[in-house]
Amino acid sequence: MSHDKFLSIPIRRRTLIASMAAAGASAGLSPLGAGRALAQEPEKPAEIIVRAWGGSWVDALKAGVSDSFTKATGIAVRHDLTEDNEIQPKVWAAVAQNRVPPIHINWDTTTNATKSALRGVTEDLSDLPNLKNTTDLAKPVGLDGYPIVNTYGYVYVLAYRPSAFPDGPPKSWKDLLDPKLKGRIALYNDGIGFHFPAQVAGGGKLEDIPGNMQPAWDFISKIKEQQPLLGEDPDFTTWFQKGEIDAACTISTNAREAKKNGIELAWVVPEEGAKFDTDGLWIPKGLPENELYWAKQYINHALTKEAQQVWLDGLGLPGVVPGLNPPADLVGDPSYPTKEEDFEHLIRISSKVQVENESQWFAKFKEIMQG
Amino acid sequence: MRTPRAAYPLTWRVMDGLERIAAALWPASFQRGLPYLMLMPAVVLVGLLVLGLFQIGDTSLRTLDTNTFLMSEDYTLANYRRVLTENFFATVAGRSLMGAVIVTAVTLLFAFPYAYLMVRTSSPALRKFLLVALFLPFFIGQVVRAYGWLIILGNQGMVNEALGLVGVPPMRLLYNYPAVLFGLVQYMLPFAVLMLAPALTAIPGELEAAAASLGAGWVRTFRHVVLPLSRPGLIGAGLVVVTLSLTDFAIPAILGGGTQDFIANAIYDQFFRTSDQGLGATLSLMLVAVGSIVVGLVFLLFGAGTLAMAEARK
Repeated sequence: MSHDKFLSIPIRRRTLIASMAAAGASAGLSPLGAGRALAQEPEKPAEIIVRAWGGSWVDALKAGVSDSFTKATGIAVRHDLTEDNEIQPKVWAAVAQNRVPPIHINWDTTTNATKSALRGVTEDLSDLPNLKNTTDLAKPVGLDGYPIVNTYGYVYVLAYRPSAFPDGPPKSWKDLLDPKLKGRIALYNDGIGFHFPAQVAGGGKLEDIPGNMQPAWDFISKIKEQQPLLGEDPDFTTWFQKGEIDAACTISTNAREAKKNGIELAWVVPEEGAKFDTDGLWIPKGLPENELYWAKQYINHALTKEAQQVWLDGLGLPGVVPGLNPPADLVGDPSYPTKEEDFEHLIRISSKVQVENESQWFAKFKEIMQG
Repeated sequence: MRTPRAAYPLTWRVMDGLERIAAALWPASFQRGLPYLMLMPAVVLVGLLVLGLFQIGDTSLRTLDTNTFLMSEDYTLANYRRVLTENFFATVAGRSLMGAVIVTAVTLLFAFPYAYLMVRTSSPALRKFLLVALFLPFFIGQVVRAYGWLIILGNQGMVNEALGLVGVPPMRLLYNYPAVLFGLVQYMLPFAVLMLAPALTAIPGELEAAAASLGAGWVRTFRHVVLPLSRPGLIGAGLVVVTLSLTDFAIPAILGGGTQDFIANAIYDQFFRTSDQGLGATLSLMLVAVGSIVVGLVFLLFGAGTLAMAEARK
């Protein structure tokens, strides 16, 4: 206690100096509108808590958004690395019991976030000033307003070990059925990212989703004969690194990160297409007014061009603000779509359709894979 | 000559005072209630668990509305119908039950000689070594141990490297059912030894000597003396291993490669992946029911083993 007291004076001085600097620079400064808001902004919390994925994901968020937010506002950002699936029931329970939720901002898949939006536990973000500068990608499909703000898109690519494909890169998801790949391929353990391309590879049509997905199940049944490993993001990197697999359906960010770490790896968008999806940021209901204000400011800041450029350079993903420059290694890469034609081979299904059917798709995928 | 009361040490007087207070608060006539009072913490704890079970039971009778992601207001048996009719749940339940039985049998097979040697050896050094080897794994968590097996049994692991030295190409030792069972046996072994050791210690060594003096060989002594008398330990150890194996989550998740789920993994998926708490609650209750039935059957057929030592001594 006394230690805290002892430290309090210099901290106040630092804060004061920072505030003065901010005020001095505020004429055109701030993406946060700090200069304009100084007189009216609510009390700042000591910190805000942002749930994030670990590893390179949180590093990129910190470098691109959190550090610059702290610099501009003086509010520390704590990253909570609880899994997105596990924070969800905690937030739902907190809102249901009128408690303050355990986090200020959830960095979440749009599919998961849509569940929370449908449940009514998300704050409306329609009033964020920087939304006017974003592309259509920022708007969640099939939901009213902005209960979530999508912040970038990503592609579930076919990542492969080039040495296992001496005749050239795989062209189709059907190439995974090659007998030499038996026991050497991996998918997400809930099948996410694979259902839709499997529908096409199985001879079906995307328009039939969700009414008739039998072609997808037929193709997944064939894949099952190949004895795939099923896991999560970190598993893929480990499996590639340890020589357990030669190909996987995974998010391009993971493949890129593995490659950066020296693993021999490349990726393609096969001819049947690859699933394109988005992640976003949302705020749970139940925060005190001042904390809600600053949480919104954080998301508003994440939508600035400067923050998006650094954040998404780290992730290697296309953002929702026009004019971002792709990282040098991803220029022209099919996993980094920037133009209309880049999206032709990518499959995007509304989050609402996904969440309404996810449970059945998941059960069916499990039934096939666990059988 | 009578010693003046003032000469009593201060501590005695304090103790006298405390005794008087205790007598006022808890008269001698209450003494018979003392054992029940001591049971209270356990009753409260179990009561809370039972309350939780009621809550889970309530949730299990509600279905998820995927338009609102809220549980239904009305009660329905739909979740139970799904669990009992869908192949996936039958597969996972069958795998868990079969796994628990196999793991229990193999673990007892390995644990028995270990425990016997630990109890009977005349070498203090060997006994200490066996004890250290027994307790060492307890300091390493289940998840860390499972990851250890990934390093040892992986395609580029120590075992495959050793096999490579004699010309055997790398083979897949992980991410299959045997790997899960292997990991569970390794995890359960110390529990089983700990449960068996007291039962074996309770068998007087003289009985084995007497059997030998009457001409019984090692096998006959084992079969007719040691094995029957160690039954309480085998049952106690078996119950612990079967219930822990049946409900295990981490080993199937890590060593199964995503394709060897046990019931606990399926429960996790429902609560945390599909957000279907109703189905998750149903699976949880059914796991509790299956586990209780298994334990009940063992109690019925063989008694409670070391879990009822007084009974065993009669």
